[in-house]
Amino acid sequence: MDLGNEVQKILSWTSVCGNLALHLIWLIVHLIINVWYSALGIAHVVENTLISSGLLKSYNAINISKVRYLAVVIDSEEARQTSKVLELLRWLASIGVLKKSQTAIIEGLNKSQKATASKIKSQEAIVEGSNHGTLVEHVDLEFVSFADSKPAVAKAANLLFAKHYASTILEKPNFTESDISEALQAVGYGGPEPDLLLVYGPVRCHLGFPAWRIRYTEIVHMGPLKSMKFGSLIKAIHKFTKVHQNYG
Amino acid sequence: MLSLRFSLSPSNITLTKKNQYHFGTKFPKVFATTTSSSNSDNGNVGLGGPEVALPEGLKRELMPKHVAVIMDGHRRWARQKGLSVEQGHRAGGEKMRVLTHLCSQLGIKVLTLFAFSTENWIRPKEEVGFLMKLFLDTASSQENLDKWTRNDIRVSCIGDKSMLSKPLREALTLLEEKTKSNSGLHVMIALNYSGRHDILQATKRIAKKVNNRLLEVEDIDKNLFEQELETHCIEFPEPDLLIRTSGEQRLSNFMLWQLAYTELYFTNKLFPDMEEADFIEALMSFQPRQRRYGGYITKT
Repeated sequence: MDLGNEVQKILSWTSVCGNLALHLIWLIVHLIINVWYSALGIAHVVENTLISSGLLKSYNAINISKVRYLAVVIDSEEARQTSKVLELLRWLASIGVLKKSQTAIIEGLNKSQKATASKIKSQEAIVEGSNHGTLVEHVDLEFVSFADSKPAVAKAANLLFAKHYASTILEKPNFTESDISEALQAVGYGGPEPDLLLVYGPVRCHLGFPAWRIRYTEIVHMGPLKSMKFGSLIKAIHKFTKVHQNYG
Repeated sequence: MLSLRFSLSPSNITLTKKNQYHFGTKFPKVFATTTSSSNSDNGNVGLGGPEVALPEGLKRELMPKHVAVIMDGHRRWARQKGLSVEQGHRAGGEKMRVLTHLCSQLGIKVLTLFAFSTENWIRPKEEVGFLMKLFLDTASSQENLDKWTRNDIRVSCIGDKSMLSKPLREALTLLEEKTKSNSGLHVMIALNYSGRHDILQATKRIAKKVNNRLLEVEDIDKNLFEQELETHCIEFPEPDLLIRTSGEQRLSNFMLWQLAYTELYFTNKLFPDMEEADFIEALMSFQPRQRRYGGYITKT
C-alpha cells in the first residue's frame, strides 16, 4: 500500500512537472513567433524607407509603360480620409502613372473628392509640363462606382435586346463578347481593362469594380489607406512589371 | 500577429488514464483533452459526414458559405519535381479530394473549383486530351460516386459543355443526376468556364425571354441577371472566399460577376503542394475580416 502511495505521488509530481514544461514550451514558442513577426515588420518598414529614398536601385527604374491602365479601389469607409486619397493621387502622379496615354481608374470616391482629385490631376500635369518645357498633356482619370458594374451590364443587355431582337431583322442574332463590350461603351459604361488594380481597405476584395473589365487584371491588396506607404506602392508596381501572364 | 491557435494552459488540461512515461531518452507522452466548457465556440459540425470539431481558431458562425478555388500551379509543380505534366495534374486531382473532404467536414455549403477555362484550349493537344480523360475518369468512377454519396456531397458542373466530348457530357449529366438529392456540400466544377461567357449567355437568355414575352424590358436589372447566370441554381451563388494558388494575383476570367465582394486570398504555394493546414490558414485569414459590401459601419 505504501509503495502504491509512493508511486502515485511520483506520478502526480511528474504530471505537474510535465504540465509546467509544456506550458513553458508553449510560451517559448509563442515568444519566438512574436519575435519573428516583429522582425518581419521592422524589415518591411526598413525596406519601405529604402525604396522611398531611392537607395534600392532596382526600384528606381520602373518600366511604367507596362502599366497602361491602373485602377485604384478604395473602401468606402477609408475613402472618407480625403487627405490620404489626395496624397495617394500625388504619389501616383510622381511615379509617372498619371501621364499621357495612361489611364487611372478610381473607384470609391464621393463627388467632392472626385472634383478635388481632378484639380490635383490638372495641377500635376501642369507641373510636369512646366518642368519638361512642354505643353500640358491630357491625362485620363476615370472615376467609377458600383453602378458601373452590374447595373451597367443590365443596361447593356437592354440595348442588345433593342438592337437585335426588337428590330425587324429576322436572322437569329448570336451575341458575342464583343457585342457586350460595344454595348457597354454605347451606354456609357465602357472603358479599358486595367492592367493592375490596387485595393486600399481592410478587406481583400475589389469591391464591385466593373466585372467585365477585370478579366486579366492583376489585383494587389495594399492594406488600409491610413497606413499606406510610398515604398509599398512602388514595390507593388515594380512587382507587376515582372509578372508574366500565360492567358490560358 | 499570427500566433499558435491552441491553448495548453494547465487549467484546460485534464490528464486521461492513458498517461505514459518513458524514462531515459524519450520525452514523456501526455495524452490530454481540453475541457468541453472552454470550447463553447468550436461547435461540432455534422453535415451528412461524421461530426468533427473545428480546428482551434475557426468559428462555425464565421465559416464562409461558399469557397471558390482557382487551382493553379500543376505544371510548375511537375517541373519542379522533375515529373510529367500529367503527373502534376494527377497530384492536383488528389488535392481536390482532400479539399472536398475538408470543406465537407467544416460545414462549408458550396465549393467551386476552377478546373478548366475556355482559354485553356490553347494548351498542347496532349495535355488537353489528358485533362479531358482525367475529368471523364473522375466523373464516371463508381468509387468516387460512392464516396460522395457516403458524405452527402452533391456535384454539378458549370461551363460551356457543348465543347466537351459526348462521353464526358453524358458522364457529367449522370453524375449531376445521381448526386442531386444529396444535401451536404455542393461541389461545383467549373469546366470550360469563362466569367465573360457566363455574363454573355445570361444576356442571351434574358433577351430571348423578353422576345418571347416572358419578361418585360423594364424587368432587366442586376437581380434578374443573377438568376440567369450559371450559378443561379445554388443557394449561395456568390463566393465568400476565393483562394488562388501559385502566387498569381488575378481572377483569370473566373466568376467575374459573382466575385464582386469576395475575399481574395492569394498564396504562393502551388496547388499540389497545398495541405489541409494551408486551406485552414486561408479560412482563418477570412474569418476576422469585416466585410462591408460597399457600405459603411456606423459607430454608435
